[in-house]
Amino acid sequence: MSWEIAIERAINNNVPKVYKILEEYPYILDLAKRLREVKMKVLSNLEEYIEQTLEAVKKTGGNAYFVRDAKEARELVGKIVGKGKIVVMGKSMVAYELGIRKYLTSLGNEVWETDLGEFLIQLSDEPPSHILAPAIHLTKERIAKLLKEKLGFDVSENSTHEELVQKVREFLRNKFFSANVGITGANAVAADTGSVVLVENEGNIRMSTVVPPVHIAITGVDKIVPTLHDAIIEALVQAAYGGLYPPTYINITSGPSTTADIEMKRVSPAQGPKEFHLILVDNGRIEASKDEILREALLCIRCGRCHLHCPVYRVLGGSWGDPPYSGPMGAMWSYIVYKDPKPAMYCTHSGNCKDVCPMKIDIPRVLEYIKYLGNKSAQS
Amino acid sequence: MLGKLIYENLQKYGFPYPIDKRICSGWAKGVPKNNSTILYTSCMYQTASLNDFYSKLIPYAEKLSPFFFLGKFIRPKKEELDRAYSILNKIASLLKKNGIEFGYLYEEEPYSGAILLELGYLDEFKSYAKQVYEFFKSRGIKRIITVDPHTHNALKRYSEFIQFDIEVVSYLELIKDVKGITNETFVIHDSCLYSRFLNLRDTYRSLIKKGGIKIVEDNMITGKDTAYCCGSPVKAVNFELSEKIARARAEQLMRLSKNVLVVCPMCYANLSKYVGNIKDLAEVIE
Repeated sequence: MSWEIAIERAINNNVPKVYKILEEYPYILDLAKRLREVKMKVLSNLEEYIEQTLEAVKKTGGNAYFVRDAKEARELVGKIVGKGKIVVMGKSMVAYELGIRKYLTSLGNEVWETDLGEFLIQLSDEPPSHILAPAIHLTKERIAKLLKEKLGFDVSENSTHEELVQKVREFLRNKFFSANVGITGANAVAADTGSVVLVENEGNIRMSTVVPPVHIAITGVDKIVPTLHDAIIEALVQAAYGGLYPPTYINITSGPSTTADIEMKRVSPAQGPKEFHLILVDNGRIEASKDEILREALLCIRCGRCHLHCPVYRVLGGSWGDPPYSGPMGAMWSYIVYKDPKPAMYCTHSGNCKDVCPMKIDIPRVLEYIKYLGNKSAQS
Repeated sequence: MLGKLIYENLQKYGFPYPIDKRICSGWAKGVPKNNSTILYTSCMYQTASLNDFYSKLIPYAEKLSPFFFLGKFIRPKKEELDRAYSILNKIASLLKKNGIEFGYLYEEEPYSGAILLELGYLDEFKSYAKQVYEFFKSRGIKRIITVDPHTHNALKRYSEFIQFDIEVVSYLELIKDVKGITNETFVIHDSCLYSRFLNLRDTYRSLIKKGGIKIVEDNMITGKDTAYCCGSPVKAVNFELSEKIARARAEQLMRLSKNVLVVCPMCYANLSKYVGNIKDLAEVIE
């Protein structure tokens, strides 16, 4: 019953809001159209754009890596972070996909998710139930109980949303200022400048990218766009279709912090991180980019709108798909990164998802194709 | 393998599961057999009420296959069949009233292959579509009038798989002159395929309006991209999920009206358990 209440509240809060945003800021529709075109350009020639991005990051004084799979990713992050460190993580579904948090913890690091939703997921030790709002399945009442039980916070069922957020704020502020490493994902990566663009509202990503001396951004190669201009567009479009517009913060990170305040000579570091690392992850994406139908799935900008319009997600919630991927986009991504065709089988081709997708991904058609691939492999 | 089994049944029985084809053709009296335009039922209205029964057997289908011939003795309940027949007769008379002439293939009418497409058995769908097309060609058929969204969708997609040059049109596009025969206020449960894939949402909405039928809309429940599915398409994959979706949808609809209007026999079959008064569009117009 708790899921039904939580999803009903989330739908009623979010769905009308997205319609209103698109009506009030109609230029978003043009930006989304342009974004689809430039992303498609990258996906049609992904390997070249990966090379270009890696080079561009190095030019900014950052380190850039390409990893094939989750194991390579974990080893690399483990090498950069080391042991006995405090690590703060901005929300990254790719980091979840790769098992980064649990791996770093197993190495003896103290790791904290700092996005409120992810923080609650970490405390409850449950998989995320929505790509944008990972704790969508938790009601306010359950969250209060969780905070009280796990961290001893002085909160109750009657605590307001504001009171719960305030308690977490106090707790996490200490972690930010003592952290050695900040790990984030990326909403977009610009191939021309090597910049990572992140959109958010909480401020936790800005803190994670600036306060600790080391910043690691880890993301899928599907997030590459040709230019920094395109990357900012992706952030704006994602925020609008996610129902949070204007976004409170858009962060651009191009390498480690620098200053040119002494004789206009640019030196690094200044106040922000002294090290910047970008890790670009394949994990099935390049192979998918070579398939005309699966390539469509890589256009996804993770706004999570398709979830809230899908009759199957409404019933099954986060259990539909392989974590962290759920809902219609998650049924596609479960196949791309885990080669699991089962979630696609649950698609009822209601088609709402394709109608509300900012990237105009024909999700039912992609899922039909994954059903086909799944059926074929079951046959053989 | 389900796809293979369905494909074999299509070869043996002309339907995804064994059935007495007279059940499919029983509605038609006096419709000519030969005409280059046909009314095409794909036996969907006639068998929709058997969907639950056969979907429950799917997990055991391979073990049960030696007994499939017994399926010939399984019939829909009389009241279900009578209702389906009266809907098909109503559609036929609406077409005639609008000056459309057509034939019907009776027991020779093939199934469309929709289930193969929807379950992702695309190789089997392609090969079956070719057979259906060749059959239609051999009968000189130039135009097919469909009566349900799943069949319409399957035929509209034939050309993605095979060379297909037969016109496919829904009866909803051909009837212009209609009159409502109900005073009740309805909430429309849209067909996903008509509404979001086949561009027919406004076609039946304008017929409903023209017929003077009172409807109640709510953008969060009956909006083009908020209206949910009835759950039927996933029944063959997960029966329980299908029922949960149906129940959730019925609850939403009944917040607006206790009278629900559908345009698809599968939506009717899946929602009717949870909705008191549910009608097909063809039942409320003349």
